[in-house]
Amino acid sequence: MEQSSGFFSFLLENLSQFIAYTGFANVTWGHGIMILIALAFIALAIIKEYEPLLLVPIGFGIILGNIPFVPGFQTGIYEEGSVLNYLYFGVIKGVYPPLIFLGIGAMTDFSALISNPKLILIGAAAQLGIFGAYMAALYFGFTAEEAGAIGIIGGADGPTAIFLSSRLAPELLGAVAISAYSYMALVPVIQPPIMRILTTKKERVIRMKPPRQVTKMEKILFPIIGVLLTTFIVPSGLPLLGMLFFGNLLKESTVTKRLADTARGPMIDIVTILIGLTVGASTQATTFLTPKSVFIFILGAISFIIATFGGVMFVKIFNIFLKEGNKMNPLIGNAGVSAVPDSARISQMVGLEYDKTNHLLMHAMGPNVAGVIGSAVAAGILLSFLY
Amino acid sequence: MMRKLTAVLILSIGVFIATIDATAQNVSSLRINEAMLFNTDNYVDNFGQRSPWIEIMNIGYNSVNIANCYLTNDLNEPKKYKIPSGDPKSEIQARQFMVFFADNKTEHGTQHLNFTLDSTHRFIALLSSDGTIIDSVTLPLLELNQVYNRMPDGSPSWEKSFFSTPNSTNEGRFEKTSSGEAFLAFDPSGIIMAIIAMAVVFAALIVLYRIFRTIGKINQRSAQLKSAKFAKEQGLPVTSQEVAGEVYAAISVALYLYETDTHDQESTIITIQRVSRLYSPWSSKIYGLRQLPHEQRRRN
Repeated sequence: MEQSSGFFSFLLENLSQFIAYTGFANVTWGHGIMILIALAFIALAIIKEYEPLLLVPIGFGIILGNIPFVPGFQTGIYEEGSVLNYLYFGVIKGVYPPLIFLGIGAMTDFSALISNPKLILIGAAAQLGIFGAYMAALYFGFTAEEAGAIGIIGGADGPTAIFLSSRLAPELLGAVAISAYSYMALVPVIQPPIMRILTTKKERVIRMKPPRQVTKMEKILFPIIGVLLTTFIVPSGLPLLGMLFFGNLLKESTVTKRLADTARGPMIDIVTILIGLTVGASTQATTFLTPKSVFIFILGAISFIIATFGGVMFVKIFNIFLKEGNKMNPLIGNAGVSAVPDSARISQMVGLEYDKTNHLLMHAMGPNVAGVIGSAVAAGILLSFLY
Repeated sequence: MMRKLTAVLILSIGVFIATIDATAQNVSSLRINEAMLFNTDNYVDNFGQRSPWIEIMNIGYNSVNIANCYLTNDLNEPKKYKIPSGDPKSEIQARQFMVFFADNKTEHGTQHLNFTLDSTHRFIALLSSDGTIIDSVTLPLLELNQVYNRMPDGSPSWEKSFFSTPNSTNEGRFEKTSSGEAFLAFDPSGIIMAIIAMAVVFAALIVLYRIFRTIGKINQRSAQLKSAKFAKEQGLPVTSQEVAGEVYAAISVALYLYETDTHDQESTIITIQRVSRLYSPWSSKIYGLRQLPHEQRRRN
């Protein structure tokens, strides 16, 4: 009898310990909110098809990161030795973003840019969002490093945002990355109203000259000259710019098809899964649900608005100096933010609303890819000043 | 053949130069960073003794192996003390330090030199394995326990100080402000950063724009010349107008459709008119059906 009561008390003790270790015993409101946000991300990705390749891994990562657990069992992403911690290494050390840039380079066709090089300048103008948000963040009391990490959201480039914030303000990485990817997914909602407000009906139907034929030699020269020029000016942007242009050379040289196929195919897919999942998992309620994160989201929205404004207004001002027939449609200005190819698609969609036969996609791809270069250069500048 | 040989030669020279440069990059990152002439109340070695010491710093961002380099206090005898290669401690990590004791007691270890420093021997030189001087300094006459050090670490400017920091940074006594804080002190609103950064982004992309505009023009010009030459040869009218990309796209699509226009099922037309089809053995059903074996009977 005594033996059986001992067994039952042992069983009870273990059961109560098991219950204490379950997620139900450790759940907080924060976890619940984060899981709801994760479900919203997944729903947006599946139902609305907003950036599904990113939002599904990030959304699921948020769920993984917000499963309540008792620390000390090498489970959580911030616990040394845990599997998620090992995978997160690629984020905090900035390994994944350059690999993604390699893939982006291998899948990007810079022909639109080469055939009409003035489109490059729109990619520069749209970086205004980064520095507008930087100033706003300083105004709200963030440190210079934090402001730099927040500002880069305006570049609308997830890998660049992760790369820079992992260097300047690692504690804000989760919030910056989630904010950047959320707004990139919401480009179809944020940009069109700003584009409509800033342009007249006459401007929206401007037809641009069809792009000229680009030779293979020009396509090969572009990554070589591009990397030499940009990295000599901003060496701190080397990991991103170097990989971007290297990937592009793999593609355009046409003699390294296998390497280019790997970079733009399986490799970028693997890295996207890892970066999405780990960035999502890094948003544990305890570290993520802070007033700072709310501010980061507000500033992220501001930076996207300023970036779109910068791009569209630049085209309008540039048009003053261009001859009739050479003018650019200001609806491609929004594509200067580097959310490739979503923002270029927005130019096309809004353009078609006003002229069903005016296809702007090809023209918008120019500033769009220039935006990728511009935001990487901007990240390099922030890094060299603030790191 | 000649071309191939030239290519191989250029490649080999390139690799050779790169290798030399890489080696030079390594030991050239070493600097004499701090030294003490008269040590009476300062740094103590592993044997509890005080002697003049020399601190070497690796100013690079990679570890450097100092083995096989030389230290001397007399340029007439440049290879006075060879740093042995067998000691694993001879690896200096990035931005780290190594202290050598000028006590003429090599039996105390690899970091004890075979010469001393005093008021008449104040010259120190660090040489690479091939005898090239990496760094040298002549110490001024120092007071007891006073050091002569670079400030900041690894910089060309030297100063005397009673704040000795063997095996550590010379800037330790100063409160270090981050780059961000320093920038913020000059630019609290961020406007200077915005202007500078936008100017740099624009400058980089404007140069890229100018280069590709020029390349584009050269290309267009050469294409026009080619087409003019071709037209002249063929006796065709010369046209300077470039064929638009849309035309190329339309031709490409047409060619693609034509070339991929293979299908299993032929297009059919339903009609009420009488259609007569010519007989062709290729479409004859007889040849498509399995023939039943004929029964053969033996006739007796």
